[in-house]
Amino acid sequence: MIVQRANQATPALVSSPPRAARSGVFPFAAILGQEEMKLALLLNAIDPGVGGVLVRGEKGTAKSTTVRALAALLPEVRTVHGCQLACDPDDPAQLCAQCRSRLARDRVLAVQSRQAPVVELPLNATEDMVLGGLDFDRAVKTGQRGFMPGLLARAHRGFLYVDEVNLLDDHLVDVILDAAASGRNRLEREGVSFSHPARFVLVGTMNPEEGELRPQLLDRFGLCVEVSGLADPEMRLRLMELREAFDQDPDSFQAQRREEAQGLALRLALARQRLGQVRLAPHHRGFISALCLENNVAGHRADLVIERAARALAAYEGRPEVASEDISRVAAMALRHRRRDPVPPPPPPEEPEPPRESEPSEEPEPPREPEQPPDPEQDQDGQNARDEQDPEEGFELPLPEPPEPESEAGDQGQALEQVFAAGPTFKVRGFSQAKDRKLRRGSGRRSATRTAQKLGRYVKSSLYGDPSDLALDATLRAAAPHQRRRRGSNRLAVAVQTQDLRLKVREKRVGNFLLFVVDASGSMGAQARMAATKGAILSLLLDAYQKRDKVAMVCFRGREASLALPPTSSIELAAKLLQELPVGGRTPLSAGLAQAHEQLRIHLRKAPESRPIVLLLSDGRANAGLHGETPPHQEALTLAAKLGDDQRVRFVVVDTEASGVVRLDLARRLAAAMGADYFRIDDLKAQDLVDIARKDNL
Amino acid sequence: MSKPNVYPFAAMVGQEDMKEALILNVINPGLSGVLVRGEKGTGKSTAARALAEILPLIPVVSGCPFNLDPTESGGDLCGQCTIAGCGFKSPGPNGPVLERRPVRVVELPVGATEDRVVGSIDLERALKEGEKHFEPGILAAAHRAILYVDEVNLLEDHVVDVLLDSAAMGVNTVEREGVSFSHPARFTLVGTMNPEEGELRPQLLDRFGLCVLVAGIRESGARVEVMERRLAHETDPEGFARQWEQASREIAQRIIQAKELLPRVMASREMMLAIARQCLEVGTDGHRGDIISLKTAKTLAAWQGRDQVDPAQVSRALELVLPHRVRRKPFEEVSHEQARFRAANAT
Repeated sequence: MIVQRANQATPALVSSPPRAARSGVFPFAAILGQEEMKLALLLNAIDPGVGGVLVRGEKGTAKSTTVRALAALLPEVRTVHGCQLACDPDDPAQLCAQCRSRLARDRVLAVQSRQAPVVELPLNATEDMVLGGLDFDRAVKTGQRGFMPGLLARAHRGFLYVDEVNLLDDHLVDVILDAAASGRNRLEREGVSFSHPARFVLVGTMNPEEGELRPQLLDRFGLCVEVSGLADPEMRLRLMELREAFDQDPDSFQAQRREEAQGLALRLALARQRLGQVRLAPHHRGFISALCLENNVAGHRADLVIERAARALAAYEGRPEVASEDISRVAAMALRHRRRDPVPPPPPPEEPEPPRESEPSEEPEPPREPEQPPDPEQDQDGQNARDEQDPEEGFELPLPEPPEPESEAGDQGQALEQVFAAGPTFKVRGFSQAKDRKLRRGSGRRSATRTAQKLGRYVKSSLYGDPSDLALDATLRAAAPHQRRRRGSNRLAVAVQTQDLRLKVREKRVGNFLLFVVDASGSMGAQARMAATKGAILSLLLDAYQKRDKVAMVCFRGREASLALPPTSSIELAAKLLQELPVGGRTPLSAGLAQAHEQLRIHLRKAPESRPIVLLLSDGRANAGLHGETPPHQEALTLAAKLGDDQRVRFVVVDTEASGVVRLDLARRLAAAMGADYFRIDDLKAQDLVDIARKDNL
Repeated sequence: MSKPNVYPFAAMVGQEDMKEALILNVINPGLSGVLVRGEKGTGKSTAARALAEILPLIPVVSGCPFNLDPTESGGDLCGQCTIAGCGFKSPGPNGPVLERRPVRVVELPVGATEDRVVGSIDLERALKEGEKHFEPGILAAAHRAILYVDEVNLLEDHVVDVLLDSAAMGVNTVEREGVSFSHPARFTLVGTMNPEEGELRPQLLDRFGLCVLVAGIRESGARVEVMERRLAHETDPEGFARQWEQASREIAQRIIQAKELLPRVMASREMMLAIARQCLEVGTDGHRGDIISLKTAKTLAAWQGRDQVDPAQVSRALELVLPHRVRRKPFEEVSHEQARFRAANAT
């Protein structure tokens, strides 16, 4: 039978969004500035087809406040009365099973109007709450397997709001993406098979300081806006006044702005009605696609989004036809997160180098024509395999002579130390260890792992796992359908038997152990290479901070390699040390590798399940060996190959050799021997999405 | 009210910055907390725990696990109580039963699991009655209280995430283990940390209204004083507490007066402009710096018994609010900023 008021079947905890919280919401109309963000949200309220908004910005810029305030403005939607899934009575094809049978029986559906929901997805959400699952109460009471709607069902025809979306766990992101893309939520779990429409506007806010979003998720957001603090002191003052007034008496503050809010809500409702009649001239479509082409966006979503957003804007402004200014106003929002670097510009003859402390005359590199400019094809897609052998492979290079410093003072000792300031930092491309099925301890956010502690995020339940970590909800759901049969066996309301037991599967990201092996020899001093290298390491450290890694640093120069920084979680310490790191002397690459091996051995003994990452920053010009017999670079290659045998470790070689001149590519060979990923410093930069990366440069 | 083993707040020697910041937060919970940075053994934890005895009384719904305020706006809070099943199901003819009790200090242990922090499904009731109910967690207990996190920089990352989530809007939304629930959770976050153990995430850093640095006292006379008092406290905690009772009560009394005065404190345009300019100049992220600075200046004025904010209070407020908000170069230490502010303000 059809339950008349579906909500009665699932009492208690299916609470609507907190009304109590609502009353404390800062009104939308009173938010100062941030016009772009407000516009983006309003456009989505007018046409949900715009596809959501991602709000990026520094902390304390009213990101969350604005989104929450929007809820009060949203126009009402018509739903089938009493339908749990908020079915649209005007769209018979999409009705849920209940509504369909009701329609067949009664011929007509009772309709109610209700405010479009703004459903918040908290970071602590578990998968079953997002997707929905077995209706526990109903299962216990009637023994039937029913469906209990999750957050996606509640967000249907409204907004799904994820605060700090970049901190959301990957598996939840996947689930949401899937639903957002198809407009339906399909559920196959715990003996429930169910599917319902889930069309919602995805709104996310994030602070880029805490790490970036996966590009795939980025593209799902129709629009992207950047927010920052107001620059005008007068405005800031006004803002303080408003906030103080609100904090002192939220109710009367809201009451004062009620009229304004109603006006805005009305304008939205009108725009919604008008939306269907807004025309778009064909030449404007050409303008849109030209814009998209110009910005090298991938795929066609940007074109579609711009068109819809421009229509919505025209409707909002009360115009019957889209004007070109509408398009330019929305284009920025639609393109910001999709724009890609066009063709990489040819490398500048010489990198704009920060403080030039070294004498440029030290390494007289005759300016030859750059015979091998980086292949644009290859650079465009940073992921391209770089293991293809380059044309130079053919001829054997003479080993570079012990470079510069010696020529100056003939002394390889400490006398010739230079300290370079760090070059500019940049956003580092992501690299992590692959996820496997091993359980680990630790914390961080680089590589995803199953965790053995009871500390990770509870992601789902399974029949196997830590018996002390019971997933009560799943256990109860497993037991629920059998209750009628088992009743009477004891005095508890729910009879749970061993076969019902479900255990929690927890997942978290762990930081990796990052071992930096840094070449601090004299050759690094030339051409301010060390400045660039320090900049790169600093960037990697920044990244390591965001991922909560543990770092250690081995430096090699002169005759030996030393552990400059023992394993630590204090990235500050590492950064400080890096600033003071001197360069000079020969290049004992082998010693560096040997020291790295030693550190890895110690680390892996302590934490055998861990997956360290070794970052070797060098130009590969080894000129001091461990033993006299083999040429230093041969020795280094052999050692590198040995080191690379350890499958538990991931190796990354960052080539610090200056570009543009004849490249010796020794580091590349080293990387090949080691089975390492090879990058040049420039390759390290995450450049896929230009604008975003650039903004993060501090 | 104070437990015998708690060191009296008034008996703390030195560390005026920290004490002041804590008191300001007690007067005005809107300051959203204080972060105490400093080396080991500088009385960070002692001060936070000692706060309990100088905290003012607040009205709460009797027996409510969420510490709700019956007079709070939007009187639908009781509906939430019903949902939680706190026993307050049918309000009497005169409304909910009131109770006045001091603000609590709720401690968040570093090893706390996420389900304990946000709350989870009530196991007992699920098994006995076959119904799903929400069991409040630490965030519920921390509503209108002080949430104290020792070694906040060692907190598990995902716990920080949920903390940020609810600190942002003062509401804890739970969607887990078959329970879907939300309740208000506005708390004053008091954290202590030793920067040597690693920095705090910027986002969390920003949530702390004020930030103070503590260091060991350099003056030998005061150091002796510290030792003597500590010894006296350890040998006879009760006697020691009695000895300081009067002083503590005076502080508590002054806090209550300041609380009453606070709504009437005004800040002139010039003062507010000065705040805005300074925030712009040092380049803080967003506007939280401005807003908190203004609140702090007002609270300071109230604490000093004035109803007008004066320039001294503004510069003091900026000193407490801005150091950890300045856009720093990567890995530059917070302490540098604090020193710079001092110098700038001194001139």
